[in-house]
Amino acid sequence: MARILPGEDLLIRMQRDLKRSLAADMSSIKWSMIIDQAKCAGCHACTIGCVSENKLPPGVVYRPVIEEEVGTYPNVRRRFLPRPCMHCQNPPCTKVCPVQATYQNQQGVVVVDYTRCIGCRYCLVACPYSARTSDFGEWYTTDTPDAEGKMVGRAKASESYEAIPATEYGKQWPKRGHGSPVGNARKCHFCLHRVAVGMLPACVTTCVGRATFFGNRNDSQSLISELLGSPRVHRLKEELGTKPSVYYLQ
Amino acid sequence: MKSKYFNILAVIAVLGLIIGCFGMADRLMYGHLHAGYGSYVPWGLWVVFYLFFVGLTAGAFLITIMTYVFGVTRLKNVGTLSAFTVLVALMCELIFVSLDLGHFGRIYRFLITPNFSSLMTWFVIFTNLMLIIYLLECFFLIREKLVLWSTENRSGKAFYRLLALGKTEYTASDRESDNRIVRLLSIISLPAGLLFYGTNGAFFAILQNRPIWNSAMTPLLFILAALLSGGALITFLIAVFHSDDEITRILGRAVFFILVVFLLMEFIQFFVGYKTGMTSILTSLDLIVTGPYAWTFWLVHLLIGSLIPLILFITGINNPKAIAWACLLIVVTFVSVRFNFLIPDLAVYKLEGLEQTFSHPRLRTHYTPSVNEWLVSVWIVSLGVLVFISGIRWLPILSSEKGGVNHV
Repeated sequence: MARILPGEDLLIRMQRDLKRSLAADMSSIKWSMIIDQAKCAGCHACTIGCVSENKLPPGVVYRPVIEEEVGTYPNVRRRFLPRPCMHCQNPPCTKVCPVQATYQNQQGVVVVDYTRCIGCRYCLVACPYSARTSDFGEWYTTDTPDAEGKMVGRAKASESYEAIPATEYGKQWPKRGHGSPVGNARKCHFCLHRVAVGMLPACVTTCVGRATFFGNRNDSQSLISELLGSPRVHRLKEELGTKPSVYYLQ
Repeated sequence: MKSKYFNILAVIAVLGLIIGCFGMADRLMYGHLHAGYGSYVPWGLWVVFYLFFVGLTAGAFLITIMTYVFGVTRLKNVGTLSAFTVLVALMCELIFVSLDLGHFGRIYRFLITPNFSSLMTWFVIFTNLMLIIYLLECFFLIREKLVLWSTENRSGKAFYRLLALGKTEYTASDRESDNRIVRLLSIISLPAGLLFYGTNGAFFAILQNRPIWNSAMTPLLFILAALLSGGALITFLIAVFHSDDEITRILGRAVFFILVVFLLMEFIQFFVGYKTGMTSILTSLDLIVTGPYAWTFWLVHLLIGSLIPLILFITGINNPKAIAWACLLIVVTFVSVRFNFLIPDLAVYKLEGLEQTFSHPRLRTHYTPSVNEWLVSVWIVSLGVLVFISGIRWLPILSSEKGGVNHV
């Protein structure tokens, strides 16, 4: 019966879990994500939501959705694998960073300090999930013609969207130009700027199938904690010993 | 160095600098915007050249060690040339690596927040250590001549006095003291150099997600590759600039032996790799032997850089000209070895299906060096050539007569 009657939206529950965790001791928090592959419809809304939230330039993506075709015609099925940063508990990327620009914060989130990163891209090479991309300073509006008459030209088009910096890591970055994050390694950061104010990451709220779950795995009352007990839980490339904080439900 | 050859090489180098300026200007103004690499192949031609120059230092490094640590007197008259070669190669290597950084201006971060668990930090430490050692070694090797030249009635007297740090007299005790310093620096450079080459190999070998690199064989291959390319370079330089047939023959035999061992190791790498049957290894190896740049492996490395030098060595092991040609071919084609080491392991998607999910030129595994990358490379190599030939021409790098004059 519970399956038929409308119940509480999972987002409401996760938001409540989030606020409870934030109100408690911050050092006990370990943020985690669970992605239910059985519910993922491959709509890519999370990818777009993430690009929009973090104002990602061309060639930079934090959460692509990998599509896989299984079987042979006529018995064909499609499987989807959203791939954010795994926020490994034993991250290979932080160990290779020569200037400590990337590290695990207290809540287990692997972050990048844009003001420290020298752009050597060693972390990109070390990540087994290809979860890091480099910002080469590209613009969507590079080929947009300049304004002519009443036309909205390149300058205005870029000023109204991509030149405006995102508020990644809760900081006000300068207008997009040559400075950071251009030239830096960039990656998913679990939308820490949203989480800090009690909002769920953009990919979680934009997921139309409610396939992405987020929360504190150390909070035994949280939905994420409940889901982690599922026998369907697995992690990517477990054999590497990276211990991702992103889990999948098969 | 003969004026004729100097002039030809200088004209080529200056032309290279002028042409390369366009690339340098673009690099300094637009950063990595016009580079051909992306996020899945994050390193490209500049890292290939960095590896190439790391290798080129090795042969000269060995000569200086043999000369000043182990006291092989036969090689003493090429000691200064070797030390200077290491210095110029290190300079080129550092410029390539610096330009490859996204934020070159933040290299001071290595001093403020170094991460000693990163091999890149150690690479920077050892590279700078080598640079300082060889800068000092070169200075003390040529100091006597600098002082002498600064007091003689010759053009550029003031310049030599400046380089000699104003010293006007050079006594026997100075010579003895310089001898001691050079020997001490060479002794320090032995562990520093071994750690430097080892770190460079381990830098790649520790990455568990890279199928070909992640092997204990990588640092070994690195050292061997460095000895081969560096040994070939120094043999070629000695054959050309010193015309010392005896040393050329000795070094030629050594390079021939290292080439054979290197090819054997390479064969073992392929044999073991293919026999494992692991998809990731097979894909990377297939990229080398049948990929879009397979010609660099078969034609450039194996035919021009290995088979022809082998024939030259076998048929003319006592002929300095044949040895010089063989070594030149090995050096010039060694860029392809570095290219085939670096790119194929990067050019494999780590997650199946990633290539189709978010389309952008920066998110592909196909890599073609851009014109800008080539122009910057031309600029740096030209600068290296110009500095090298200028040093040979105007500094007391070469011994004044065949058989050599002991500078120290």
